[in-house]
Amino acid sequence: MDVIGIDIFGIVSFLFNIFKSNMLNIPLLKPLIDFLMGIPILNLIVALVLWRPFFGVVILPGLTGLMLYLLWIVYFERKLAARVQWRVGPIEVARPLRGAIQALADGIRYFFQEVIVHREAHTPYFVQLPILSFIPILLPLAFIPAGAVVGIRTPYALPLTVAFISLIPIFVIAIGWASNSRFAFIGSMREAFMYFAYEIPFVLAAISMVYVYGSGDLYVAVEKQTIPGILLNPLAFIVYLIVMLMATSRLPFEIPEADQEIAFGPFVEYSGILFGLVMVLAYEKLYLMSLLFVILFLGGWSGVEIPLLGDLVAPLVLFIKAVVVISILVIVRAVYARYRLDQAIRFGWSNLFGLSVASLIFGIMVGWLM
Amino acid sequence: MKLARVEVKRAESLKRHTIAIAEAFIQALKPLRITIEYPRERRKYPDTFRGFIVFNPERCISCFRCAQICPANAIQMSVYKRAYPGIDYSKCIFCHFCVDSCPTGALSSSKVHDVAFKNMDEMFVKANQMTSLPKLHREDEVTVEYEIEKGVLKLKKEKIREDLSLPAILPAVKAKKVVCVDPESCIGCKLCVQVCPHEAREALVFEKDENKIKIVIDKCFGCGLCVRVCPMNVLRLEVVK
Repeated sequence: MDVIGIDIFGIVSFLFNIFKSNMLNIPLLKPLIDFLMGIPILNLIVALVLWRPFFGVVILPGLTGLMLYLLWIVYFERKLAARVQWRVGPIEVARPLRGAIQALADGIRYFFQEVIVHREAHTPYFVQLPILSFIPILLPLAFIPAGAVVGIRTPYALPLTVAFISLIPIFVIAIGWASNSRFAFIGSMREAFMYFAYEIPFVLAAISMVYVYGSGDLYVAVEKQTIPGILLNPLAFIVYLIVMLMATSRLPFEIPEADQEIAFGPFVEYSGILFGLVMVLAYEKLYLMSLLFVILFLGGWSGVEIPLLGDLVAPLVLFIKAVVVISILVIVRAVYARYRLDQAIRFGWSNLFGLSVASLIFGIMVGWLM
Repeated sequence: MKLARVEVKRAESLKRHTIAIAEAFIQALKPLRITIEYPRERRKYPDTFRGFIVFNPERCISCFRCAQICPANAIQMSVYKRAYPGIDYSKCIFCHFCVDSCPTGALSSSKVHDVAFKNMDEMFVKANQMTSLPKLHREDEVTVEYEIEKGVLKLKKEKIREDLSLPAILPAVKAKKVVCVDPESCIGCKLCVQVCPHEAREALVFEKDENKIKIVIDKCFGCGLCVRVCPMNVLRLEVVK
């Protein structure tokens, strides 16, 4: 197999050996995997899927997990808010399942809807930015570990993840700018104001946990949590919880999007699949932040041991914990009204900032004691 | 005047947040929801709620009282065998004065409260369309009843399909017929014959060469229209013995 001087077979077998050397160990599926590994081309695919870095980034807790989570949370948030507010919520799509595939149906509808690019838009940016905004969503997934499954193992995983999450609002502001409309402009201005109000407490809360665990390595963070992080630094926990609401436009702080005032703010001009991409941006950010939240404060993937599933347990546990945290968190949407921008910024710069500084000092003390 | 900022103490504010979120969790677990999934679930209303009007032509005496009392002018009489009412639902305000004023109970209410039509022409429902309930595409499988126990509203759901027809309430009015109390005073103007709703106008007869009225009792319905128009006031409605 020697085509134009390149040994394709050699490259494939080289890649296959790389994949094979670092595969997931799942005792339950062992006979099936062994059987599939005996079939020529299929074994390459199986080896790739079960290759630990690939599995971490693309399957769980990576892209596939993210998509599953999106299908769940968009439906569940609407349904939960409806339940608390004595309504029924989405119900007509798949009635026997009480509308459970509503998010999937919406997604399919976005695909077949026309994408309108209005005349005033900066067309290249307007079209590219929703797609480019996936970069800061997907990159942190490479650094978030789940047991033996990890994309890139580094002692700087926590600072890197925080840095990439902090990049997302830049894209939101850029989207608002590219839309070149007054609502989008107001929305991106609000996003910029909010960004400064929540980002500093967020970074301080994350750094305080670095002091508590003595390392930015998320493996060390999980190992050190014989007592969960909630109890080690409750102040940072509270700050992180509120910041999660602020950073992802959950309702008391849903100021940049503000449906009733500025009609989804920076994303007002989008339609079709581009709207689908920008609409889930906040949910994706929430997913990343809650993965980090679970690792820092709730013991990460530790705590459950199922020998039959082997390496699969850790990503599953991390994913389920994150989804449960978010599912509980979205209940605030049902009870709160929206703060004014000045109220939210005052809260961010006074109470939240003070609390985060206190959590940093508390974290340094706890780290020193440990 | 300077508006004062409402100051809430931090402890009080925290307490309120806690109460709000706790209430949300309580409602999420066990909501006090009273929403009905409308087409599939139908609320059971009291029988006295006014709905689509059903007409029984056998009881109707064509007295025009429904048309005359209608405050919205929605009822128009049209002649079939006799003059029967038809209701224009684009005007009807569901006051049911027509049902109340009917002396024989020919008009009665029903439990069809969601009357819907495809166009304006269909909204005028003629007498022959009113003899039974309109054709409904019923999706409801569950009947929901509101129950208030000690001030708490509860929903009682039953998997039955409710019958929407209601029995006609017959008024305690005795049947009357027209009589001429003073035939000598009749001037033979024949106004009574003209207003008689009976198509053949057989109830009131003037024989040839005689300007005196003769009433055929069997044909009279006792609607009383002739009593109202008679210029000499010689006609009366009297209870049939």
